[in-house]
Amino acid sequence: MNETSGRRRPLYRAASVGALAAAALFVLFLAVPVVQLVAVAGGSGLAKLLDDAELRDALALTWLTASVATLLGVVGGTPLAWALARRPFRGRAVVAALLDLPLLIPHPAAGIALLLVLGRDSVAGRALLAFGLRIAGSPGGIVAAMLFVSAPLFISGAREAFARVDPRYEAVARTLGDPAWRVFRRVTLPLSMRGLVAAAVVMWARAVSEFGAIVVLTYNPKVTSVLGYDRFTSYGLPEALPVAAVLVILSLLPLSFLRALRYERGMGGGLAAVAP
Amino acid sequence: MIEARSLSARVGEFALRDVSFAVPRGGYGVVIGPAGSGKTTLLETVAGIVAQRGGTLLLGGRDATALPPETRDVGFVYQHGYLFPHLSVEDNIAYGADDPALARAVARRLGADAFGARDVRGLSGGERQVVALARALARRPAVLLLDEPFSALDPRRRTLVRREVRAIHAEWGMTVLQVTHDFTEAGLLGDVAILLDGGRVLQYGPPEEVFRRPASPYIAEFLGAENVFAGRARALDETSPDWVDGAPHDVAGRFRAVEFRTGDLTIYAVGDAPDGPGYAVIRAEEVLLSREQHGAGEPAATSARNRFHGTIVELATLGALTRVTVDVRGTPLVAALTTRSVHELGLGVGVAVEASFKAMAVHLC
Repeated sequence: MNETSGRRRPLYRAASVGALAAAALFVLFLAVPVVQLVAVAGGSGLAKLLDDAELRDALALTWLTASVATLLGVVGGTPLAWALARRPFRGRAVVAALLDLPLLIPHPAAGIALLLVLGRDSVAGRALLAFGLRIAGSPGGIVAAMLFVSAPLFISGAREAFARVDPRYEAVARTLGDPAWRVFRRVTLPLSMRGLVAAAVVMWARAVSEFGAIVVLTYNPKVTSVLGYDRFTSYGLPEALPVAAVLVILSLLPLSFLRALRYERGMGGGLAAVAP
Repeated sequence: MIEARSLSARVGEFALRDVSFAVPRGGYGVVIGPAGSGKTTLLETVAGIVAQRGGTLLLGGRDATALPPETRDVGFVYQHGYLFPHLSVEDNIAYGADDPALARAVARRLGADAFGARDVRGLSGGERQVVALARALARRPAVLLLDEPFSALDPRRRTLVRREVRAIHAEWGMTVLQVTHDFTEAGLLGDVAILLDGGRVLQYGPPEEVFRRPASPYIAEFLGAENVFAGRARALDETSPDWVDGAPHDVAGRFRAVEFRTGDLTIYAVGDAPDGPGYAVIRAEEVLLSREQHGAGEPAATSARNRFHGTIVELATLGALTRVTVDVRGTPLVAALTTRSVHELGLGVGVAVEASFKAMAVHLC
């Protein structure tokens, strides 16, 4: 050990301690509000589910609309994600940038933008109304808002999942007699399935927690986040707490699912362990 | 058969350019070349995995230029196998097989049946290669494309699997194109050798031709010919005093007598090299060494036209083989001998020897 490194050692130690303290504070900042909310109001929130019909309805509506939005996102987003990962095409970068837009703009602004396109006075809104489909102020509006803000997360995750599959697996399958669509079903899809499920779960969780776009497009019927806001502004914190706690518990469920998926046998090595 | 006419393809910055060669129906072609020369890309282009940008590709006599991989009737084995990790060994082998009985028979012949229903993630690199071979062969393709398929096998298993693949190739009359870094393998297996570098075919033909008569000094060095000398060639005629003995050089163009001067050495060769600067290539295996017998009178009679006195400056032993470097008037000449011969002759650094090789062993390029 030379003199210089000897002088530097306390400096490094101080920097390490500082970084550790900052990291610990950051974790606390992220975890404490959530843990405290669940600890304080989790029990009462779950108990309230028994006698609060409005909360039960909001919860059911949230589950349903988030699930429909996720289904639509998966059906529509999977081919797009595959194309972005596998097929070089003119304007691919522009499409990718457009898909990031909903993640970047404030969500109330997203709601207003959707209202412009799908509201009663818009061309699309009027056309849909002619078929008896009302978007704004209906569960359809909730689904549209959820889809708009959360589908980019699915597409991004799915694109990553497809990109992680070495194209040579698909190439080998082609030489074994499978046309491209069958290779997708027999090779690409199974190999990217975990990533696709994870992306869908993230999308669903994001849809469940959406508030800003929904509140503009469809205040009623109320999803859980809007109900929590409504109770807070109408009755104050004590009434809002159980609703918020239930929403947090609902959001934590997919997180637990994701963790289980990640630590499932084989995921540790994952595909990386078998890819050459 | 596989016939490429001015084939071109591009992968990122790398390009195959003007690649032409032919492997006859039922033939075994080997592709050799340094790393990054485009060997795998060439195979992928033949398989249709990499899009062809120009030229024509014929597979089994039909134009396959625009065919997708699944209709080309090719089998492809990558060096790393690329076994489907979500399927068992059995399911991998049966993936593209039309006849399950054939798939099982191929697996048995290659020894892949021993891995049974195992998870492919638990297989060693060599085992994966065997399973990948079985998977490709289970379809009984007309053309088999192999990208270093034996590289991860231990020597014993490599010999067995190589022999079995060669036997299946002969039985089925498949056309095979195999990438290899192993020149012995290229010589053992190949009917046609294709030497690739920088995305271009430098030379192709029967392996013995490519190895014995490399088209350039670069090829000679790449193929492991240690003795490559720059110099000047001159055709000899009937007036030459020392060798031709009345045989006019134009009797047969390929067999004219040539004198090649490099440094202080004059090497005699037979060939059709034009007069002027060029290279002489002599494989180390062609060079004989004998101990100089001081005071023994006339040297022993021999048919070798090239005989040089020199001194051993280096010995490199690799098992039963020893490479001996002899300094011949300032020019290093490498001879490959059995280690036993080296011991029996008592060869060592500083020992005076006579190095000899036949004129026919000299390749001029």
